[in-house]
Order: sequence, then C-alpha cells, then structure tokens
Amino acid sequence: MEFFFQQLINGLSLGALYALIAVGYTVVYGIVQLINFAHGEIFMVGAFGAFATWVLLGSPTTWSLAAALFVLLPAMILGGVVVSVAVALLTERLAYRPLRTAPRLAPLISAIGVSVFLQEFIRLFFGYIPGMPDSKRAIPFPSVEGISGASFQIGQVTVQMPAVFTIVALVVCTLFLWFYVNRTKTGRAMIATSQDPDTARLMGINVDRVIMAAFAVGAALAAVAGVAHGLRYGNIDFRMGFLSGLKAFTAAVLGGIGNINGAVVGGLVLGVVESLATSFIPGQFGSTAWKDVWAFALLILVLVFRPQGLLGAKVVDRA
Amino acid sequence: MMTIGSESRQRFELPARIVGGVAAVVAAASVLLSWSYDPAALDDMSFWGAPSPLQFHYLALGALAAILYLLPIALRPRNGSWTNWVAWNTAARFASFTLLGFPVIAVIAIALEAGGLINVDPGAWLALGAGVVATLAGVLLPTSPEPAMHRIKTHPVIQILAIAAGMGALLFAAVFALGLQDAGAFLLYAGFAAGLVLTLLRLGVFGWLAVCAAANKRVLVLAAFFVAFAFPFTQNGSEANMSIATQVLIFGATALGLNIVVGLVGLLDLGYIAFLGAGAFTSAVLSGSAFATINWTPPFWLTVLISGTVASLLGLLIGSPTLRVSGDYLAIVTLAFGEIFRITMNNLDGSDGPNVTNGSDGIPGIPDLNFFGFDFGATHVIFGVTIGRFANYFWLMLLILALIIVVFTNLNRSRIGRGWVAIREDELAAEAMGVNTFALKLLAFATGAFLAGVAGAVKAHHDVSVTPDQYVFLESAFLLAAVVLGGMGTVMGVLIGATILKLLPEKLRFFSDYRLLLFGLLLVFMMRFRPEGIIADERRQLEFHATDEELAEEVEEELVTYHAHYNPDPKGQK
Amino acid sequence: MNKRIVKLAAVAFVATSLAFAGCGSRTESTSGSSGSTKVAKIGVIAPLSGDLSALGLGIRNSVDLAIRQANESNAIPGWTLELAAEDDQATPDVGKNAATKLASDDAVVGVVGTLNSSVAQSVIPVLQPAQIVQVSPANTSPTLTRGSDLSNPKRAYDNYFRTCTTDDVQGPVAAQYLLDAGIKKVATIHDKKSYGQGLAEAFAAAFKAGGGTVVAGETINPDDKDFNAVITKVKSAGPEVVYYGGEYPQAGPLSKQMKAAGLNVPLMGGDGIYDPTFIELAGSAANGDLATSVGAPVETLESAKSFVEAYSNAGFSDPMGAYGAQSYDAANAIIDALKVSLKDATDAKSARAATITAMADVSFDGATGKVAFDEWGDTVTRVITVYKVTDGKWGTEKTLTAE
Repeated sequence: MEFFFQQLINGLSLGALYALIAVGYTVVYGIVQLINFAHGEIFMVGAFGAFATWVLLGSPTTWSLAAALFVLLPAMILGGVVVSVAVALLTERLAYRPLRTAPRLAPLISAIGVSVFLQEFIRLFFGYIPGMPDSKRAIPFPSVEGISGASFQIGQVTVQMPAVFTIVALVVCTLFLWFYVNRTKTGRAMIATSQDPDTARLMGINVDRVIMAAFAVGAALAAVAGVAHGLRYGNIDFRMGFLSGLKAFTAAVLGGIGNINGAVVGGLVLGVVESLATSFIPGQFGSTAWKDVWAFALLILVLVFRPQGLLGAKVVDRA
Repeated sequence: MMTIGSESRQRFELPARIVGGVAAVVAAASVLLSWSYDPAALDDMSFWGAPSPLQFHYLALGALAAILYLLPIALRPRNGSWTNWVAWNTAARFASFTLLGFPVIAVIAIALEAGGLINVDPGAWLALGAGVVATLAGVLLPTSPEPAMHRIKTHPVIQILAIAAGMGALLFAAVFALGLQDAGAFLLYAGFAAGLVLTLLRLGVFGWLAVCAAANKRVLVLAAFFVAFAFPFTQNGSEANMSIATQVLIFGATALGLNIVVGLVGLLDLGYIAFLGAGAFTSAVLSGSAFATINWTPPFWLTVLISGTVASLLGLLIGSPTLRVSGDYLAIVTLAFGEIFRITMNNLDGSDGPNVTNGSDGIPGIPDLNFFGFDFGATHVIFGVTIGRFANYFWLMLLILALIIVVFTNLNRSRIGRGWVAIREDELAAEAMGVNTFALKLLAFATGAFLAGVAGAVKAHHDVSVTPDQYVFLESAFLLAAVVLGGMGTVMGVLIGATILKLLPEKLRFFSDYRLLLFGLLLVFMMRFRPEGIIADERRQLEFHATDEELAEEVEEELVTYHAHYNPDPKGQK
Repeated sequence: MNKRIVKLAAVAFVATSLAFAGCGSRTESTSGSSGSTKVAKIGVIAPLSGDLSALGLGIRNSVDLAIRQANESNAIPGWTLELAAEDDQATPDVGKNAATKLASDDAVVGVVGTLNSSVAQSVIPVLQPAQIVQVSPANTSPTLTRGSDLSNPKRAYDNYFRTCTTDDVQGPVAAQYLLDAGIKKVATIHDKKSYGQGLAEAFAAAFKAGGGTVVAGETINPDDKDFNAVITKVKSAGPEVVYYGGEYPQAGPLSKQMKAAGLNVPLMGGDGIYDPTFIELAGSAANGDLATSVGAPVETLESAKSFVEAYSNAGFSDPMGAYGAQSYDAANAIIDALKVSLKDATDAKSARAATITAMADVSFDGATGKVAFDEWGDTVTRVITVYKVTDGKWGTEKTLTAE
C-alpha cells in the first residue's frame, strides 16, 4: 500500500509541474486560439533565467536556511519570471502578432520555428554570457538549502521537499491567477476578449494589451515551473522544454483547453496516471519505458471520447 | 535609401546606362586578374589571365549586365514591340546587385579561408569597385514596367530548344555545384545562381519559359526525367554525390506525401516521419537481414506494397479518431503519435515488449536489392561510365518519385483534389456543399502515409540499417519545412525545398552547429514574409495575402482561363 | 549612339575577353614541388557537433595527435599522413554520408570511429566494400564483430576492429567486484540503448552465476529526466547496489534522484559513466558510486602517462573525453599496419587491402595497455579498473583482469 501512496505522491508532484506549464497554453489558447508551441521553451528559458540569477548573486552555496528560503529562492524565481516574460512578449511581438490574421497554419509553423530557435539559442549562446557554464549539455541546478535533496517520511512514504515546493507553488499560483482574472480590470478584459474579441475591441478594450498579458501570465507560471523542475531533478538543459511542453499541452487538453481550472485538474490527473501506469500495468507494458506512451494515449482517448476535456470548456472553433 | 524622383531618373537614364555598362565590362574583365593570393582559397583564383571556373561564371554575368545596360540604347524600346516587353532596367539592377554581391562573398571567403584580407588580390577589389558603380547606376535607372515576355510569340521548335537548353543548364549547374568541395566556393556559386535566377526572373525570361513549357508539357516532363536520369552518368562513379542525391529523392518523395496532407487538405501533421519509419521498419523486418525478426522474405514489389499498406493502416488508425477534432489539435496529436511510434519502436525489443525491432539497435545488415540478377549493391559499367551502388538506388527512387508525382498531380486535378482544397479553404462551407469531409481527410491521411511507407521501404535497403533514432520529431519538422519553404501544394516547390534542406547542410558542414538555429529562424521568417513558399500555388498565395486585391483579380482571371469548367470563389473566405 | 557602334563594341568586348581568357594558362606549378613524399589519409567519423561532441572532439584530437607524432618521427618513410575528420552528428544517416565521402577519397586508407554502435551499423557496410580498415574506439555492441547470432559467432566484417572491450567483458568484472565485496542483492536499470542494455544484461548474468540475486530489472528511456517512478519501483525491492547500464547524461541525475528519494545505495556503471561530468551532474550524491573502465589506471602505465602529457601539450581546445586513449591507440594501430602495407605501395588506394591483413599482426603497448586484436577484431586487452567517487573525484579502487 505504501508503494501506491509513494507513486501517488510522485504523480501529484509531477502533475503539479505539468499544471503550472499547462496554464500558459490554456490562457493563450483561450484568447487567441493559438497553440503556443514554443511555450515549453519559455519554461526552459525560465529555468535558465533562475540559474543565471543564482550566478549573479555570486553562486551562493552556503547560505543559511532562512537566507536560502527567503532571499535566494524568491530571487531566483523572480529572475526566471523576468526572463521568461521578456522572451514570451518578444516572441509574441515578433513571431505571432504579425500573423494574427493569417490562416491558422501560419502561426503554428512560426511557433515551431520559435521553439527550435530558442532551444538552439540557449544551447549555443548561453555559455557566452560571462560567468555561465557551457550549456551544450545538462548543467547542475543550484541547491537551495532546505529543499534540494531534503525529504521527510510519512510512515514508509518518502515525501521530497521539491515535490512539496511544486505543489505549494501550484496552489499559490492558482489562487493568484484566480484573483487576477476575476478581480482585476485586465483580467476581466481577458475574459471579455476570450468570449468575443471583436466586441471586446468595440468596448474599448485594448486587445493587443490583453494578449500580451495572457502571454506574460503564462510565461510567469512557466518560469515558476522551471525553478520547480530544476529543484526536483537537480539539472536543467536546453531540451527540457520539449517533452514537458508536450505533456503540459496534453494536460491542458485533458482538462479542457481554454479553462484554467481544467489545466490544473488535467495536469494532476496526467501526472498521477503516468505514475500509476508504470506500477500497475502488469507485464512488459508496465515498464517505465512506456510511460510517455500512456500519457499520449490518454490524450488521444480524451480527444475521441470527450474532446471538450474533463471540465468541459466550450471549444470555440473560429477558423 | 534616398528616393529619387521619376523626373531626375529620366534625366539620368542615358548616363546611368553608359556608366553601368562600362562598370559591368570592367567587372567582367577583372577575372583576368588574380583575385586571391592563396591558391587554396575557393577554386584557385590565383592566376593572372586564366580565370577559374567560378570566375568564368562572373565573366558571363558581367557580359549579361553589360548587354542589359547597353542594348536598349541601340534598340530604343517602343510600345507594342517585343523590346518593350522585356524589363531591361529592373533586370540590369538585379544583375548589378549580383555583380556586387559576388566579389563581396568572394572577398569574405578568401579572407576567412586563407587567413586575412591580405590574401585578396587586386582583381577582387577591382570587381568589388565595379560592382559598387554598377549597383549605383542600376539604382538610378527608372524602373521598368512589369515584364511581359510571355506575350512574345515563339516558334514551337524554338520553344522545345529553349526547354532543352534550360534543362541542360539545370543539369550543368547541379553537377557543377555538387563538384565544388570548398564550402566558400559552394556559397559563392549559390549566390551567383540566386542572383542570375532573380535577374532572369525580372527580365521576364521565366514568364516566357513558362509559356514554352505550358505549350509543350510532355516535352518538359520528359526532359526533366531525362536530365534526372542522366545525372549519375555525370558523376563517373563518385559515390559521395550520388548518396546525397538519393537522399534528396527519398526526402523529396516523403515531403510530397506530406504535401498532400498539409498542402492540399491543410491538415498539419507533425508526426509524419513515423510513416516513413513504419515503411522502413516493415521493409527491414521482411528484408531477410540476419537481424530481421520475421523469417519471411517476399519479393521486393510485395514488400513495397506491404510497407505502404502498414504505413497507411497506421495513418487510418491515428486519423480516424483525431480527424474529427479541429486542426490545431491534430497537429499536437500527430506529434504525440510520432513520439509514440518512436518510443514503441524502441520498446519492441524483447524485454519491454515482443521482439520486433531489436529496440534501439534497430535492424542492421539489410541486404541490397536484387532485381532479376541486377544487384543493387554492385558497381556496373554502362556506356563506359561506372555506375555505383547509390546510383542504382537513385534510379529506383526516381521511378518511385515519378509514380508519386503522377499520383499527386492526378489526385490534385481530380474531384477528390478539389474536395481537398475546398476543405482547406473552408471546411464548414465544404461540408455544407455536400463534400464528405471526414472521408476525404481520411483518404488524404492514408494516401500520404502510403507514399511515405513506399519511400521508407526503399530507404531501409538504401541505408542498410534502420534504427528508431532516425525518426525523431525534428525530422518531421524538417519535412514540414521542405513543404513550407518550397511552396505548399506544389510539386516543384516541394522538390526544391527538399533539395535545399538536404543539400545545404551536406555542403556547408562547417556550419553544422548553427544548422538548427537557422532552421528555426527560417520557419519564422518564411511565415512572416513569404508564407506561400518559394514557388507559390496561386490559390494558396491568395489565402496568405487576403487583402491583396490586385493578386486576387490576377488569380481569378487565370483560374477562369485555366479551369473554365469550375468556378472557385476566392473572395469568399477570410 | 547608333546601333552599329553598340554592336561593334559588344562584339569587340566578347572577342577580347575570350582572347585574354585564352592566353593565360592554368598549369599547376605547385604540385610536385613537395616531390618525394606521398599522402595517405586517416579518416575520423565521430560526432563533432551536437550533444556528444565532447566525446567526438576528443576522438578527433587524439587521432590528430597520433598522426602528428607519426609524421614527426617519420614513422612511414616516403609517406605523409593526414587527418580527414568528418562529423556524423551521432546519426546513422549523416554518418553514412561521411563514410561515403571518405570512401571516395582515394588517399584514405583507414578510419577511426564511430562513437555510437548504431552509426557503426551504417558506416561499416560503406567502408567494407572499399576495403578501408575501420577501428572503433567506443563501439561496444558484440554483434558488430561476432555477427547476429552470438552463440554461433561468425565474423561480420573483415575490415572492422575495435580498441574498446565489449559489454561481455566489463559487466562480469563489475559483478565479480560486487560479489567479492559481499553484495548479494542488486537491481539493474538500463537505458535500452545497445551499450546500456548489453552491459546490464552481461552484468546480471554474471552476478546470478556468481550466487547473487538480481531483485529488480528496470529500464528507462534515454531522453528521460524524471526517474522517480523507476526509483520507487527499485526501492521497494531493497537492493544493496543499483547497477546502471548507460551513459553519464542520465546516470548523474539518476544517482542524484535516487538519493533524494531515500534510496541510499551506491550506483555502479560502466565506462559510459566514468567521466567528471557524472559527478558534476550528481553532485554530492555521487560519493560512493562506482564505475568500471577499460585498461589500467593512467598513473600506473608509462605509455598512458606520456599520452596524457602529449595531449595537454598539443594545445587542443577540447579535453580528450572518455575515449581519448582508445582513439589514440586505434590511430596508432592503423599507423602500425600502414608501416607494413605502405612500404612498397605505389599509391594509397592499392594499399587498403594489405592494411586490413596487416591489422592482425599489430601488437604494441598503447595508452590503454597492450593493443592487439583477436580473430574477431576485438581487443585482447582484458584489464578493467574499478573506480569509486570519493570527495567529488574519481579514485582508483581496484584493477582486475577478466578471464
């Protein structure tokens, strides 16, 4: 039984990571009906931004527990968010906005281009920034006292601190997002734009700004996910965005794309399914080598039987 | 750049012609001087009075520019005469740009390859100076009206000769470019070719050639295949270029299959490489290799059919559930499917699943094909020319490519093809008009997959070994890029796109670390500035430039003339 | 200006330029000046760009070093050796093109490479018909030398040799070491690639044969980053050591995540994890982890020390990587064979077949120990050293000889 709970905990923390990224897909899709294929790379860039912030702080390794938790960690998150948001806004401005009236294939292909470009840019040029290590292979993510490598036991179940951090981050971010969308002016403008962009424009809403806000919010959450990824796995590399991004998209579809709560639920469900599948599918197909296959198979099943997703967002097809 | 009024342009015309013409002559003459001190740079431009092959190309370009500048002085183009249908000035301007660009690339290449600008000899500097003067003169010339060379009436014999000459030039250019080992020389030649093509395009020659080609379609197709067929004879047994050429054909054939799905029906498939992989793995398993997991070796024609069928079954399997959802989802679902395929091939190794593919080792040692005693692995001598292993596969692929082109063009022109285009342009409207959208989409998926499977069957034998890591997402993206770069929905465009994407990385290996970076940028820039690709399908072009009224009228006019029997309404969509 | 003048000018221009073009001559004045020495090339096919370029560049540089030394000492009188390095990007397709290019260069007599067994499968069939000898410093898949059916071995390619040991030597040595240390329960994990899987299977077989128990056998995907699921499964089986078949990019994070998840047992692997990067990626979790690698430790072997010294003096910008010594030995093995085959040869191409024949008699003390090949083309060296991470550094634990 503790084996089940252990995999459940693993799955929930993995799912929280997917959910943080998935929100970015869902927010952007809800407003511009664009699958931001490069969102996985925004997440990756956030992790590198956090890493760079750590280097700028003098690569601290021996800070006390309090300093690490209340100065270092927030600074790294902030650094990651700044970099992610900047890159996201830049790509929106340069690669997506000019294509807003083009057929739908165009922005999607452009997004694939951005995705490949960002990966390669980090791989080739991150190392040229003074003080940064060569990024052509994985680089070790800084340890944060009290989180990295730390864990506690509940009975036989080991709970790792990075998992706790990821879940807490998801809760905080979701609350913040709920407040932002429902209680601020920009947030309500977002809702209005997602329902009907033309009318929203007539009502005096600056649609460009709303779209930028959507990209920024998604990027900020992705950056938090980037930090969580670094703490959880201890390494970051330029390719980490591809698979995580794909999984997060799956999570967004699972929950109902366009629906923020759906992204959170979809992420958690996907994480748990992936974890449990490797333990409870009997025989050769239960090997961990198949876990990505089960995740993607879930995506296809959902699209066949419940295309609107678990929480049933309205699928608007405005092609 | 400063804008110059049309009046002053008129006043400057004659002096500009003379200055430009002289500059072009000087530029051409500069090849008689040495360009590079170091003989190792480019293709040895270190001789005095004896131009290298590339310098001869520059000489020809200079002569062409001089003619474009000076001939109108004598001819005095008049309205209604052929002389006025030729866009002398615009062409002269582009020829001048090329005259300038060529020595610029040459100087940079010499400096990089030989180590420093000190190695650049006077000839190159003279050409550079002449190029600058010619460019200034070209900018000063008034812009010509749109070229109308297609209105020139030409005797059919001359038309056929023109096609033959064009094909000959193409073969010569391909052989020459592949023969260049030096990366700088290759770039220089690519720049020259691009400049020349642009110049001729502006002059209106291609408009005229298009008319010739349209009047002699069969001759054109035959000539094209003859040229492609003759290509191995120019290589004299050298395998390196034949290997690249065969890969271009395999890649191009696969891209054509994808073109049905993306270009005609407008469905974005990001996991297309899986179908090529399915064909390759099927063919490998049935090949009789010592590592094959099935002990049955059918004749190759049957293997090809089985491979294609397996791939198209996979296409149906993935298509039937997902083609009901909207296009964006399809892109990601196919991407996920591509990953599922790769991981599955990796896992069917006996320990995580039944042993079919040997896991990541894949299936090596696939024997060469043997048709009625003709061993594809052996070297043959035909007409005194050595024909190596890759040349055999080249011909086989050429045959398959021809087949694919026939299928593609016939489908495109048929009722099915029109249904596809209708789906692409407006699925709801198509459905309302009684088009069975789901069945047609599924058919496109299966057909595309079948073609890729067939290409994969040959690829397995050509490659000798099939491994799962050959079929990653990036390869799908490359296929998509070939379609996008060349021009969605066209045959020529996709073949050109495939050639560029396969050939350039082979020739510019020093660049390999930046290959993907440029690839990403290329996709973004293509979408931003020329989404219809190098060679545009006209209906498609209209879709991407919805606000361009002039283009809309032009396209409509042509559509009415060419397809009088049906009437698409290009204005009806977003 | 009238028509005639223009026409005249045009004709004159074309005529003079043709005349000028004709009067010069492009006779080669440079060739033949170097006169008596002929050129033979040794090719390299390795990933020079991309993910694994750190290993590939080390291979290229080590071969370069061997060639330079041979030229300096005039090892083959009358001949100058040159390096022809081609990038395979660790992809079979690109590797095949590289091989085709080298095979059509008549001066190429031998090739060092490849890094990946999967690339080798595409490269060997191109080089074999051209009779170009190929020596790999890193391919560990047994089928490359012994054919598809290992129980009934048959030499697959007569031109193929290697200076690294295969999986079935390293795995059993690791098993022996653990059994000697009193370990009875292990779990194996591998990355499903030919190297990792072969190693893990060879290890597991030997460990069971020696009386130990393999309590869990798991696999991961080579591009995985999240190993928590597999660790949880392994942990519940309670092993004393986890044996990992694979390379350092996954092994480092795996070790780190293992210890974070409370599975505090050493991780052991083959030469694919014996790299400083492993420790960098695993952090302090690496302490106590073990690896085997081919050959005696560098500090105990005179020939190895001189190689390391020469490499650092040669001014290469990249480190030698995990396969530097093997590559150096591979190049020297080819050079040794060339001493025989090129002696009376008129041109490089005609010496290709003789070079393959001469490989059988190659025998010298290289940077990894004794270099010679058995009837399959595998190295005869059976010396394996076990290394252990202490205080963030690889240290020598024990040197063993496989039977």
